[in-house]
Amino acid sequence: MSDAARKTVLLLTFARRGEEEAIRQAMAALREAAPDAVIVAVGTPVSGPVLEHLGVDELIIYGDGRGARSVVREARARRPAAAAVVYWGPGFAGHLKLELLALLSGPPRVLRLAPETPVRAVGRSRLALSVLAKVVTAIALTAAGALVCGTALVCLRLRQALAGGHRAPRA
Amino acid sequence: MKATLIIINHNGRDLLAQSAPAALEAARKAGGHTVTVADDASSDDSIEFLSKSFPEVKVLALPKAGFGPACNSGVEAADTEAALILNNDAIVTPEFLEPLLEDLAEPDVFAVGCKFLNPDGSLTHALGNRTSGTWQGPLLRLHHETRPEMLKQTCPQLYPNGGAMAFWREKWLALGGFDPLFHPFYWEDVDIGYRAWARGWRVLYEPRSVVYHDQGSTMGRFHRPAHIELMSAKNALLFTWKNLLDTHLFRRALAAQARWGADDVLIGGLPHRTAALWRAFRQLRQAGRARAREQRERLRVDEEILALASGGDA
Repeated sequence: MSDAARKTVLLLTFARRGEEEAIRQAMAALREAAPDAVIVAVGTPVSGPVLEHLGVDELIIYGDGRGARSVVREARARRPAAAAVVYWGPGFAGHLKLELLALLSGPPRVLRLAPETPVRAVGRSRLALSVLAKVVTAIALTAAGALVCGTALVCLRLRQALAGGHRAPRA
Repeated sequence: MKATLIIINHNGRDLLAQSAPAALEAARKAGGHTVTVADDASSDDSIEFLSKSFPEVKVLALPKAGFGPACNSGVEAADTEAALILNNDAIVTPEFLEPLLEDLAEPDVFAVGCKFLNPDGSLTHALGNRTSGTWQGPLLRLHHETRPEMLKQTCPQLYPNGGAMAFWREKWLALGGFDPLFHPFYWEDVDIGYRAWARGWRVLYEPRSVVYHDQGSTMGRFHRPAHIELMSAKNALLFTWKNLLDTHLFRRALAAQARWGADDVLIGGLPHRTAALWRAFRQLRQAGRARAREQRERLRVDEEILALASGGDA
């Protein structure tokens, strides 16, 4: 079968250290479900060699001056039939960045893979809902973080000022 | 110079069966040093086991207070110029003591850390060997050397890993020991190393002093990974709030910390960052007091500390 006729599956993972086993399992699951698919992974200059070593067919590298928009454009150009998002667990928590990338890349179906959790396939609308919920949560957490850190900054600086300012004489 | 080797123990009778004789052997070989076990209220038969099997080991039976306070009590009770703290799962080699005491002979050295190997002899990937740090994003990012060829010489490092470290008792007491701010565990060794540098002292790495240590094996027995990650994140935040006195860096770190909770959603993994922020916030007053204390004693600025600790010029 020619490459043009083969379906493309995007593999989306943060590929952090220690995640090789999870990626290998994800690759095995994808190969079993779609033996002829071209697996295209998105990685950084650091994770790229690891992903290549694990046997992905193609690699889109971001970072080193390449922004998210350019990565999305390149991923869309492959017209992926599906995207697979590898989560760290527990369940399908977090990974908003990857879900957003999956959504913007345009595949009609997204496979969610997490440790000790059955693989789940979702459509674009279901994924969009998940992304929306996570965006709202992220905004709320940032607001809470700003409140906590703002208070901490004021209190600690005040205490520092009352104690006589930061002198830090050199040895 | 005489030294006391203090093994910190909590319900680790089986671990002591290996670590206590190794420490005794090292103490004997270096000549006339003592071994003490600071027992943090073990409910197993650790104390009976020690008194039967190793009567020459002094046992300090402490009320349950955690790792840091147990270390502090052990050091306070010691009556030697130098002291060493050892985890109960750290197996020292017979020749490990002498190089440490040699390094401590330099007057401006506060502490010396050991070379950490996994039980199979491979180089550990846990933080321990030739540590350094950079202020990056919300926290102090810790680094350690993993290239064996870079671990052949005595050199400066940011902090000695609390799993096995030697230090001047008097300087330890002057620093106030491990800060209870970091209860229950993690970052207390980074904190004391950083503060020692801030006071004008040095911390060294000594590759001739080898310790076999299965990092986290003791911790993993008593705590879930999620709890360990949460406590580590909470203490990383408190470390910043206490020790980062440079106004510009501090503002930048806090701005990044404000966004940090959202990483639970943006990135993922165990959702611990928001919980860690909240836990740290509950200790804000304590952190403020510690920061004011630190400010009074400091002789070096933050960037100078990191530059010197990584072996560069300030």
